[in-house]
Parts: sequence; C-alpha cells; structure tokens
Amino acid sequence: MGIFLKDINLKGKTALITGATKGLGRGAAEAIAEAGGNVIAIGRNQSELNSLGKKIKKLKVNYTSFNCDVNNYNKIKSFITKLKKLDILVNNAGTNIPENFLNVKKISLDTILNVNTKAVFNIAQLCANQIIKLKKKQGSIINISSIFGLVAGQKRTVYSMTKFGVEGLTKGMALDLAKYNIRVNSVCPNIVLTPRTKKYFDNKIYNKYVKDSTPIKKVVTISDVATSITFLASEASSMITGTSIVIDGGWTAK
Amino acid sequence: MLKKIDLKNKIALVTGAGKGLGKACAIALAEAGAKVIILSRTKSDLDKVSKIIKKTRGSSKPFVCDVTRYEEFRKILQKINRLDILVNNAGNNIPEHFTKVKQENMEYLTNLNMKAAFNVAQLCSKKMVKAKNRKKIGGSIIHMSSQLGKVGCGGRNVYNMNKFGIEGLARGMAVELAEYNIRVNTVCPTFVETPMVKKFFKNKKFKNQMLKNIPLGRVAKESDVATAVAFLAADSSEMITGTSLVVDGGWTAQ
Repeated sequence: MGIFLKDINLKGKTALITGATKGLGRGAAEAIAEAGGNVIAIGRNQSELNSLGKKIKKLKVNYTSFNCDVNNYNKIKSFITKLKKLDILVNNAGTNIPENFLNVKKISLDTILNVNTKAVFNIAQLCANQIIKLKKKQGSIINISSIFGLVAGQKRTVYSMTKFGVEGLTKGMALDLAKYNIRVNSVCPNIVLTPRTKKYFDNKIYNKYVKDSTPIKKVVTISDVATSITFLASEASSMITGTSIVIDGGWTAK
Repeated sequence: MLKKIDLKNKIALVTGAGKGLGKACAIALAEAGAKVIILSRTKSDLDKVSKIIKKTRGSSKPFVCDVTRYEEFRKILQKINRLDILVNNAGNNIPEHFTKVKQENMEYLTNLNMKAAFNVAQLCSKKMVKAKNRKKIGGSIIHMSSQLGKVGCGGRNVYNMNKFGIEGLARGMAVELAEYNIRVNTVCPTFVETPMVKKFFKNKKFKNQMLKNIPLGRVAKESDVATAVAFLAADSSEMITGTSLVVDGGWTAQ
C-alpha cells in the first residue's frame, strides 16, 4: 500500500466461486489465490475440483470445494448458510446455447434462464445474507456478465436477455447492499477463449467475426478477466459499486 | 494468472498534477514504478509533488505549463523522447444554474475541459504512435471524466456537457488508436475530497444532499481514483479500451 496506490490484496479474505472448475471461474479462483485469498470452489466435476485444489493449495491459501449443481437450490443453500467465512462471491456459473431467435427451443430457454438468471440470483442472495450474518465490515460480489449484457449479438437473444438481466440485478443489489458496505459489480468480457468457447473459435467465420469486431485485434484471455475480478474483489476498488468493468478491446465503444 | 499493477519502464504524463486528483495520480503512477512527467501552472505545487515522489523513491520531471496554451504544451512535448501513458486530468468546474451561466465561464470551462483536453490528447497520441515498438508494448490514455459524464446534476450543465463530451472523445479515440495498441478509457469518480470539492462542500446543505446520492454513504478518496487510474494505465487492463471505470459508490446505478 502506497500513499495513493492501493494493492490488490486479498489476504485473510475468503471467496466463493461458482463454475470454478473451468474457464473464467478457474482463472478467477487462481487469481484470487495469487492475491492471497482463500478459495471455496463450487463445481460439478469432482476430479477437476481436486486438480484445482492441488494448484490452489500450492499458493498457501485455504481451499474448500463443494460438488454441486448451482440449480440445486436446497443443496447449495445448506452449504452456504453453514459457511464460517465469506467475504467475496464470484458469481460465475453460466451457460449459452446459440440459436437463431425464431428457432430457440423451449428446453434451451429454460436451461439458460435457470443457470444465468435464477441460479445467479439465488446464489447472490444466499451469499449476501451469509456475509451480513457473519457481520463482515465489507464484502464484494462480482457477477460475471458479458458484452452481451450491453449490446446484442447474433444468435444470442436468450444469452443477451439473461446478461442484460444480470446488469440490472447488479445495480439493484448494489443499492440494497450499500448500507452493509457490500459492493456489487459485474465484469463484461468480450468472447474469451475458454474450453467452452473453443469450439466457436475453431469456426473460421466466427473467428473472423470476433477479430473484426474487436478494434484492438486480440482475443481476451482468462487472465485479463480474472485480473479485473480480483481488482473488484479487493479493497483497491472500495468506492466502485453498481457498475461494470468492460473488458472487450473496444467492441462496445463502436 | 493475476496481472499486477506494474508500470516499471513506463513514462507517464499527468496534467493538472499540482493538486487534487492529478497529484494523487502522479504519485500513484510513480509508486507503481513509472517515470512521471508532471504539469501544472504553479511551480510551488510541482515542487511539493516532486518531493513526495522522490521520497517514495520514484522519479518525476516537472514542467510549468498552462494546458490551454497549445504552443506552450507542444514545446514541452518536444523535450520528451518517449511517452507511454497520458493522464489527461487538468479540468475545472464553476457550478451555476443553467439560466444563469455566464458566457465567460462557459468559454473558460469548455476551453479547459474539452478543447485543451482534446489538444493534449492529440499531441500526446502523436508522440506515442511514433515509438517503433508501440504495438508490442502498448500505450494507455486515461481521461479524467466524472460521474457527471454519465448523468445530469443541477447547476452542472457546462461540466455535464464537457464531461459527456470527454466520454465521446474517449470512445472515438479508442477505436482509432486501437491499431497502435493504445488503449483509451475514462475514470468517472463521484465527489472526491479534493481542494476543488472542499470548496463546494463548505455549503453543508449541498454536502449532505450529495452524500445522500452516494449509496455507499461516503465520498471517494483520492487514492480510490488514483488506483483506478493506475489499473487502467498498467497491463492489468490490457484488453480494456473505449470504456469507463466508474468510481462513484453507486451514484449512477440509481
């Protein structure tokens, strides 16, 4: 900590991360641990939860994992309400099924809405209540949004609907939780190269579309997003709430 | 995974660096390792800032300069070999009801907050693109905007006009300078206890009214804004361009 420069430091803090086994969630878990924070990882794949644990423990922070589907409200509720330590939530678990608006299947709509909207809401509510119950003097919740929470994209109607929703939820939560000094923000990345998006990037037309839409002509990395998440998690951003960090290489500036 | 706020080997220029936010930014950038070129109209202010930077083992080079004088600024830039970061900070505000805004105040504020901001940004960009390795090492321009670059506020029409303008400028610049890997963003703080704001806050009724508008219930510290600026200056935000980092305790979320 300098006179005017605050460190991104999470020593002694505990962060719960959903969708922690892959992609952005895994990156966030690693970055938070590198900043000194303890990690509670939620995911559905036990062997991946174990391998993440091996990596995190090397950084000399505490690691807890819980194998659970974020849609399973009762199971996740009983876990969160028993937590003894919680300061930060990275509300990351999400999904997408790209389909043309006219052809969106009922099952796709339900799947995306359940994960990206209802589970995101429920986990945010459970964690906020737990942070308050633990009488923490400060907290930080980071909802993982997207550029498609700010603008539309082709075959992204349901995804956009859910991510615009997350943007609204973020602002609303920020107001209701301000008096507890719990800050709530979102990060809005461009399309990040992750295990889930790799299949899109393998398509040449899609690859060109992303590059052409990104003025800075680079693909956003997991590390770019994880760094912003960790900045928002830490007290380096103690006056930032109810807003978004847009990590898109200029996509939405046009 | 976590990209630290590290400005080693970077050269930054900060306008309005004698007082308030500019001073805080200059010191924070130096604390992150940058060599800082500081500009102000007042030599004694520059001397004080230089002294603080020296104490923290940083490096600074002061120039007395009124940024509204195009030639004066241009000549100073000629003395500089390289530039990686610009904090386009110099600005002012004279609160008046719209119907009562004096012509000379509108002229003065617009010349400083917009015209000089544009000219400084253009001249610095020209300097920045000249570096042969610019595309590889990147560059970053941070405009000091305001929450009032996002929403309206009574008695702040000219300031609103100027800062909304800066938001537009930042996006336009971001799109055009992307090919050189120069990122352009704004920081939008709420009220910060700077010498400028302290003057307004002498009016207790105004102060209480403003505090009511900040959900977190406190004004920002200079370090909150300076840290955000340093984050945008560093490669921690490598894929962030054409956007704003809003440091407003939730003001604009409402």
